[in-house]
Amino acid sequence: MQTIEGLLLEPVGCLAEFPPQPFHEIAVRFFGRKGKASPSGSRSYWHLLNLMQAAETPLGAERRNIVDELEAEAVAGASIYEDVLPVLAELKTMGIRLDIATSLSHVAAMSFVERFSLGKFFSGVWTRDDRLQGAAGGVKPAPLLAALAGASLAPAATMFLTDTVEGIKAARSAGVHPVLMMNDPDEARRLAMHNPAGGVVSLHEVPDFIRLISFQNKAAQNKAAQNKRA
Amino acid sequence: MKRVSIYRPSTVDEAIQILSQHGTSASVYAGGTDLLIRLKNRLEQAPSYLVDIKKIDHLRYIKEDAQGGVEIGAATKLAELADSRLLQEKYPMLVEAILKISSPELRNASTLGGDLLQEVWCQYLRGGYSCWRNGGYICYGAIGDNSYYHSAMGGRLCYAVYPGDAATALIPFDARAKLATPEGVKELSIEQLVPGDMLVDGRIQSHVVRFNEILTSVVIPPPKPGVRASFEKLRPRGVWDFAMASLAISLQLRGKTIDDSRVVFGGIAGRPLRETAVEAYLKGKTLSAELGEQAVSVALANAAPLKYNATKIDMAKGLLVSGLARLNS
Repeated sequence: MQTIEGLLLEPVGCLAEFPPQPFHEIAVRFFGRKGKASPSGSRSYWHLLNLMQAAETPLGAERRNIVDELEAEAVAGASIYEDVLPVLAELKTMGIRLDIATSLSHVAAMSFVERFSLGKFFSGVWTRDDRLQGAAGGVKPAPLLAALAGASLAPAATMFLTDTVEGIKAARSAGVHPVLMMNDPDEARRLAMHNPAGGVVSLHEVPDFIRLISFQNKAAQNKAAQNKRA
Repeated sequence: MKRVSIYRPSTVDEAIQILSQHGTSASVYAGGTDLLIRLKNRLEQAPSYLVDIKKIDHLRYIKEDAQGGVEIGAATKLAELADSRLLQEKYPMLVEAILKISSPELRNASTLGGDLLQEVWCQYLRGGYSCWRNGGYICYGAIGDNSYYHSAMGGRLCYAVYPGDAATALIPFDARAKLATPEGVKELSIEQLVPGDMLVDGRIQSHVVRFNEILTSVVIPPPKPGVRASFEKLRPRGVWDFAMASLAISLQLRGKTIDDSRVVFGGIAGRPLRETAVEAYLKGKTLSAELGEQAVSVALANAAPLKYNATKIDMAKGLLVSGLARLNS
């Protein structure tokens, strides 16, 4: 793996635990989802994104307002993981560029950043509403692609943390390395079959992950130089 | 088995030169009971060049030093440690621990250095899974079967437990390790030698020995007066398995009063785990039949078991109770 220069973070499931109900309600009211809400906020969110992506017509202004309200409710009910602040600070010290890349609305994403005072850590916030270089915006890989272009990050030098199969696929389609957040061991075992680039048990392992790759690349370079000299 | 080239240096300096020349592609070869299995299993981190140190003089000995301590050459066989009258007389707990390592056949081949610096025995690593220690970026033990070979005290990328018993048993004696390096001799405590998952020369390993360094000996200070020590180990089969949990404990007593102690758990964390909270609790206490049950209340407060290994913590606490009871008898 190439030495990592940037990290794209999705607030839902990677930085904070979100309540599933608001995402489920959007899915039921506007995208025809049936059945009960998943107990996982992250899964409810990515289910919703599947439905949003499959929808043929965009939502009207009135419905969009309701979606914004429900997403604001989700942000208000989110609880940030305890290791997020020290880890973001450590990554920043290491010189890693940090961006939020999310399929939440711009309003919801900014409200999340503000609520948990995360602004000082992130160089950019990229959402489904961002239209960059003529792109139409949208969910899943679109915010990742916008972040890569906007931040001038090479996909091969960028990681995206995720805890769902949809997240892994979105990262792959954007060309970045999907890193599995193994919050739930049973779910993580299933997701490991989808060939993520790596996995961490908690966010506090991410700095060591990035350091290891850097060490490995330096060791490989030294070895190559040594072979050349020999 | 992976194809390898073998060097047979006759001095430590020559061995260091060869190791420096090949970088992380080379590895020290002594007993081979860990290394050859890594080669057989074609693990990514298995070396291509072996530097056989068996022919080097002065690496295989057990001798008393001028201060009344003992120095053990790193290439000394575990069986030789187990048979040593000097060690039996000065550090019987160490001999007890060595006799609980593996089988007599393997103790005839394994060396003290090899036991201290051995690779973890996680079934996913040894089975060739692409994990942190084998060219990949994920710990399968954290999400799979972690009942035996994985840490119940948290981890750092890799969640395998440190498997060696010798380190666990040497820490209560405040033993120190000597390393030969290109810059000269380096001395470390055993805790510093095996601090758990470390990023060293681009690899994750349990010890801090760099690719061009050689562990040459272990020095144990003279036994302190009034010290009683005990080693206990729980394992699936009593004849030769790795520890599910183990405990090396020493108490320095004045009558029945504990002046100082060392409490070190093995088999439950990525390193031999010195439990300083219990040591602080024991200081000044009277050794009694009830002390074990009381000490358990402060033990392993930072436990972070994985899905299937919480029982390791129960085992370790049980060993603390039985260890203190044994020292009281």
